[in-house]
Amino acid sequence: MRSVVILVVVFALLMVFGPMLAPYDPTAINIPKRLQPPGGEWLLGTDALGRDILSRLLHGARWSLGLAFVVSFLGLMVGTCVGLIAAQGGRFADWIAMRTTDTFLAFPELIAAVVIAGILGAGTGTLVFALAVTGWMRYARVARGIGLSLATKGYVVQARLAGMHPLTIARWHYLPSLLPSLTVVWTGMFARAILGISALGFLGFGVQPPLPEWGTMLLDARIHMRSTPLQMIWPGIAVVVSVLAINLAGDALRDVLAEQESP
Amino acid sequence: MIRIAADLILRAFVVLTGVALATFALLWHAPGDPALSIAEARYGTVVSKEVLDFIRAEAGFDTGFWTAFWAWLSPLLAGDFGQSSVTGRAVWPDLMTAMSYTLPLALVSLAIGLAISVPLALIATRRPGSWMDRGAVALASVGVAIPAFWLGLLLILLFAVQLGWLPAMGADTRAHAVLPALTLALGVAASLTRIIRSGILEARTQVFLPAFRRRGIPPRNIARDHVAPHAAIPVITVLGLELAFLLEGLVVVEVIFARPGLGSFLVNAIYARDFPKVQAVVLLAAVIFVIVNLAIDLIYRSLDPRMDGRNA
Repeated sequence: MRSVVILVVVFALLMVFGPMLAPYDPTAINIPKRLQPPGGEWLLGTDALGRDILSRLLHGARWSLGLAFVVSFLGLMVGTCVGLIAAQGGRFADWIAMRTTDTFLAFPELIAAVVIAGILGAGTGTLVFALAVTGWMRYARVARGIGLSLATKGYVVQARLAGMHPLTIARWHYLPSLLPSLTVVWTGMFARAILGISALGFLGFGVQPPLPEWGTMLLDARIHMRSTPLQMIWPGIAVVVSVLAINLAGDALRDVLAEQESP
Repeated sequence: MIRIAADLILRAFVVLTGVALATFALLWHAPGDPALSIAEARYGTVVSKEVLDFIRAEAGFDTGFWTAFWAWLSPLLAGDFGQSSVTGRAVWPDLMTAMSYTLPLALVSLAIGLAISVPLALIATRRPGSWMDRGAVALASVGVAIPAFWLGLLLILLFAVQLGWLPAMGADTRAHAVLPALTLALGVAASLTRIIRSGILEARTQVFLPAFRRRGIPPRNIARDHVAPHAAIPVITVLGLELAFLLEGLVVVEVIFARPGLGSFLVNAIYARDFPKVQAVVLLAAVIFVIVNLAIDLIYRSLDPRMDGRNA
């Protein structure tokens, strides 16, 4: 548990302060020094345009992890709202909200994101939109499920009978009970968002060059697989280690919550 | 049971209508003049306004949203997927050709994934907490975190570039399918191992198992008759998610290995802004996905009678 916390903190710090540690400008082109091997002046070598790979990886953390944070947070907001509307709004609102959720779940999320980002035109804005639109449904299902179980609890019934506004009930009675489970869902969606951003970047529908996003870097590196295979290793390791850290944090969080619920 | 089935089928119908509407709305709001891009792709030169108007009328772009939606949907309902806006060829035969590459790859990957994950989960749960168990869990956790496209590139690097054992690009021979299938199968195996393992551990906590053991029923029979069916329930519920995972992996894996399957079909159609092809893939995938999930739902309900309407 402690090692997981340390790992997550390290990644959060990297996301915020990583670019300051970068020895070079991540977009500075230096053709004479292209495709340098690791070691020496360039710790992880240089890419096909002579850009320092370490600097690009460090700056890339802000794109890959930062955008994943934004995407998963937007999904959390939208999904929680939809779930609460379904749980509080009566049978008709519930039906509409849940069939909308089913519709968005009717399609593999990443493929839907590829189609949306591809058709609307590649770019950072459409990338965030595409992944957020396809990434809110799990929050909605969890929020609705817990919301329905709360609706029959004495204090919620009394609040409703006392004429409390549904939004006030949502804020003071629903949200506190929802937060632990939603946080667990959020860690999973954060990890998925990192994978989604790198996959879309790799297909050319995500963050556009010369910006240093890890998936986009892999797309560049793939062409030079024969001459400089190591160039392809670093961004992949960055993705795997960050996804692994977040998944482990999610598992640990779930265990802690499960222990609290069944003492 | 019939009432529940009817309700589920009604839901599937509503969901498919929603998918069609969302797909059309997306195409309707695509930036740029679609008529212009069609003309560019088809003729390769600057065309006159009359030609553009002709293309607009041909594709139904000049009417309102709902009229255009109906004009778009009605041939699809009749099973006519139209022609490619770039090549003018009918979409359906090309789609089926792509499918003939994708379906076998998906099934083989799923089979290999099961062949790896079931024994691994059984070994892991023989002694929970042992080094074998921890090793299997660690392996699966790393496997889940590896993006399919990177794993594919690593396998190409090792087996095609460094060792030269297997071909990497194309789909000419059976050997060409080995690396893509392995890439997908390892991802499937990683996530299934975790689920099967926790399913077995959960199933072993059932309160009546000690009673069976004391009655002298052989452990082998208990495992077969009481642990395995219980462990199967969570596995069946996540099969839908597993299928989604597999389809997502297929898209990138086919692009990496240059296989002419559905994934490459979709990505190339998006690059070319060939919208009839894009919508055909999207709708076909949605229909398959919804039907499979419907089947899983029905199986799940017949396995677990505790499920009732509103908890679904």
